[in-house]
Amino acid sequence: MIYVNDLKKEFKKAIKEPGLKGSIKALFKPNNEIIKAVDGITFHVPKGEILGFIGPNGAGKSTVIKMLTGILTPTSGTCTINGYVPQKDRQKYVKEIGVVFGQRTQLWWDLALRETYSVLKEIYDVPDKEFKQRMAFLNEVLELDSFITSPVRTLSLGQRMRADIAASLLHNPKVLFLDEPTIGLDVVVKDNIRNAIQKINAEEGTTVILTTHDLSDIELLCNRIVMIDKGKKVFDGQINELKHEFGQMRDLQFELVDINNVAKLDYCEHFNATADDLQLSNEGVMVSVRFNSDVVSVEDMLSYTLSKVHVKDINLKDADIEEIIRRMYRQEVSIDEV
Amino acid sequence: MKFKKFMRTYRPFTRAGMLESVAYRANFICFLLGEIMSCFIMFFVWKAVFNSTTSPDFMGFTMSDMVVYLFITFLTGYLTYSDGTYAIATEIRDGSIAMRMIKPCSFDMCFLFQELGNKIFNVLVIFVPIVLGVEIYRWAITGVCQFDIVHFLLYIISLVLAYLISFYFNVSYGFMAFYLKNLWGADILKECIVNFLSGATIPLAFMPTVLADILNFLPFSSLSYTPVMIYMGMYSLDEIALRMLLQVFWLVTMILISKAVWNHAVKRLCSQGG
Amino acid sequence: MRRMLRLHRIFVAQYMKNLMEYKVDFLTGAISFLIGQVVQIAFLGIIFSQIPNLVGWEFNEILFIYGFSLLPKGLDHLLFDNLWSVGYFIVRKGDFDKYLTRPINSLFYVICEKFCVDAFGELFIGLVLIVYSVIALKLTITWYMIPLFIIAVVFATLIYTSIKIATSAISFWTKASGHITHMFYMTNDFSKYPTTIYNKFVRTFITYVVPFAFTAFYPASFFLTGENPLFCIGGTVLASVVLFVISVCIWNRGIKAYESAGS
Repeated sequence: MIYVNDLKKEFKKAIKEPGLKGSIKALFKPNNEIIKAVDGITFHVPKGEILGFIGPNGAGKSTVIKMLTGILTPTSGTCTINGYVPQKDRQKYVKEIGVVFGQRTQLWWDLALRETYSVLKEIYDVPDKEFKQRMAFLNEVLELDSFITSPVRTLSLGQRMRADIAASLLHNPKVLFLDEPTIGLDVVVKDNIRNAIQKINAEEGTTVILTTHDLSDIELLCNRIVMIDKGKKVFDGQINELKHEFGQMRDLQFELVDINNVAKLDYCEHFNATADDLQLSNEGVMVSVRFNSDVVSVEDMLSYTLSKVHVKDINLKDADIEEIIRRMYRQEVSIDEV
Repeated sequence: MKFKKFMRTYRPFTRAGMLESVAYRANFICFLLGEIMSCFIMFFVWKAVFNSTTSPDFMGFTMSDMVVYLFITFLTGYLTYSDGTYAIATEIRDGSIAMRMIKPCSFDMCFLFQELGNKIFNVLVIFVPIVLGVEIYRWAITGVCQFDIVHFLLYIISLVLAYLISFYFNVSYGFMAFYLKNLWGADILKECIVNFLSGATIPLAFMPTVLADILNFLPFSSLSYTPVMIYMGMYSLDEIALRMLLQVFWLVTMILISKAVWNHAVKRLCSQGG
Repeated sequence: MRRMLRLHRIFVAQYMKNLMEYKVDFLTGAISFLIGQVVQIAFLGIIFSQIPNLVGWEFNEILFIYGFSLLPKGLDHLLFDNLWSVGYFIVRKGDFDKYLTRPINSLFYVICEKFCVDAFGELFIGLVLIVYSVIALKLTITWYMIPLFIIAVVFATLIYTSIKIATSAISFWTKASGHITHMFYMTNDFSKYPTTIYNKFVRTFITYVVPFAFTAFYPASFFLTGENPLFCIGGTVLASVVLFVISVCIWNRGIKAYESAGS
């Protein structure tokens, strides 16, 4: 479906020293620097997959998405989607994709929302009958009814995002690109939008490529993630693979019978582990131990704990994806080139 | 001491304005080339006009007078141009005007010093070449250097007065944004009426006497016509004194109007709650 | 082509709905333009009150040329004004992304998204001047003049539009180029007067480099004198076609260099 091969994009950037002096200097001697925004990325997405595209700010996510949607021309490398090269067959190609940029709307600002859809219907040449069906479907999934007659500028951010997603799906695209679709939204609206994306993916087999900073988006939606940093791919695989590979961190939580027993627990000394691999924290009688199960086995952990203190309740948890990625961003987890 | 503090408060605005204008220097130069084109068109039109008549002057203006008039009017118009209307209208629309009330500096001074900073670079680029060009042309045509330092200095004073009148006029006008949804149309209307009334398009001397007398008294002639006529040496020293007095009168009036409008706006903002 | 016209109609209809929100604004815009032009024409009147003719052209002939120059300018303003926004901010802010993710030609889309009604001020004055001067000059109108007039106006409009396309496409490389468009666009005022009043440099420049002379003086002089049809009308067509092809090439290359904005 989507093949990306050694994709590269370079930008030229003028370097300017700060202050008035710098401005005047730049006037006579402009200084350019080449920035490799995307530096040789390769991946492949099969049909019907929801792919999470993640990375810290400025990693090059948006640049990749913009090349895949035909907005930017790659410096080198290729991408083919559905057999099209986006930049070459642009007009034909974009009929098969939907694009939402979370930070900017494609709706007509001053017009009622419904007008936007009727214009898009013409732009994408959607037949009347199909248009009606689509609108009914999108209405059901995204609940547009309550604001479809209001001018776009009066919509709340959540409504606007739903409207934007509907706009990108009007022509039944085969691939949907979502660039930060949940940015700035509250929890309820986020949930709403995630459900809609899932439903569309399930019912129509739409391939979805999604960039986000909200890691729960990824955990709830994506089958697979590609993570990039400084223009290079640093991880590509299933989420549980990521957990398996990097996520040996576990959380042991238990409730003490006697609060004074906390002092008896001295994990670090007992297991001879560093703070990186083992951390203890407590709030009254509630104790939480985060540990690396590669260093300390779950069995040892439990038997040590139970031998030292009496507990009312005990609970062992996998570390969540958020924690792993946070560590990866901070480069605590060493990453081998994948 | 007070002056020092005053300068310390407002110097950052000037600096910001300067940085801005240097950053957009290419835009400015292209813009200038586009605008000055109309002077050259009129130059050729006047040349053709003088070729078509036998008399050496046209309603009291010789060809070299006309050239001086064209280019000095352009220069004056450019230097006295103020962006106050747009700046204020934008702040009113996005509500940031309310922030002006909680800052420890006066709103008009902030604008003024920022704009002055913005102009410094532009003045350097435009002032010297135009004055030099005009004087060289006059000298080449008549064979005598006609540059007169007294009139030139008086012109500078009159120019500064004209700029300040223009600034306060534009600031007052910008407050119309409180009442209109969009100031775009009204701004163009203002520009075009002011251009006519100030004698920038047609010299007031070419107009019927009654109209010219009225326009001479209105504040608009103070914006462009007065300084230009001073530069050209069309006024006697007595007349210059009178015209400058009139400029001062209009400046004071405009400042009072802008203060009144500002106070009104503050009341309105307070009663609306932002 | 049919689809394009249909789309264009829909865009215009949508835009008109939009416009109703700001009608006072556009009305004042059109009126101020009207006033500006009246003042200019009054100025011409004052000049001609002192001289019999300007390099052989009498007042009414000058009015015809002046009026003619407003028609292509007004049409371009009416239909293709959005190109200004491309150079001033659409590219700089990265809003051009939108046009590239639609299955229609980006140039066509951006051009017809806006419809600038305040141009009716220009068109109105232009027509009034032409009608007035034709009557005052007692020009005889032969049948073939009408199609030639339409051809001349249409291709002259294309000259304006092509210059705007080419100069706003520069923004794909430099982020913003509105001021460059402005610089070139302002040369159009040269075309309001007979080219014979200019020196050789200016004449060559507005004939062969930025051929604005073909948007008014050359075609208008043919309708006034009936001389030189090949140069005056043919030249207009040729200049506009060549310019249009060049500007579309620049545009298409520009899209490849487009860098969008931010993330």
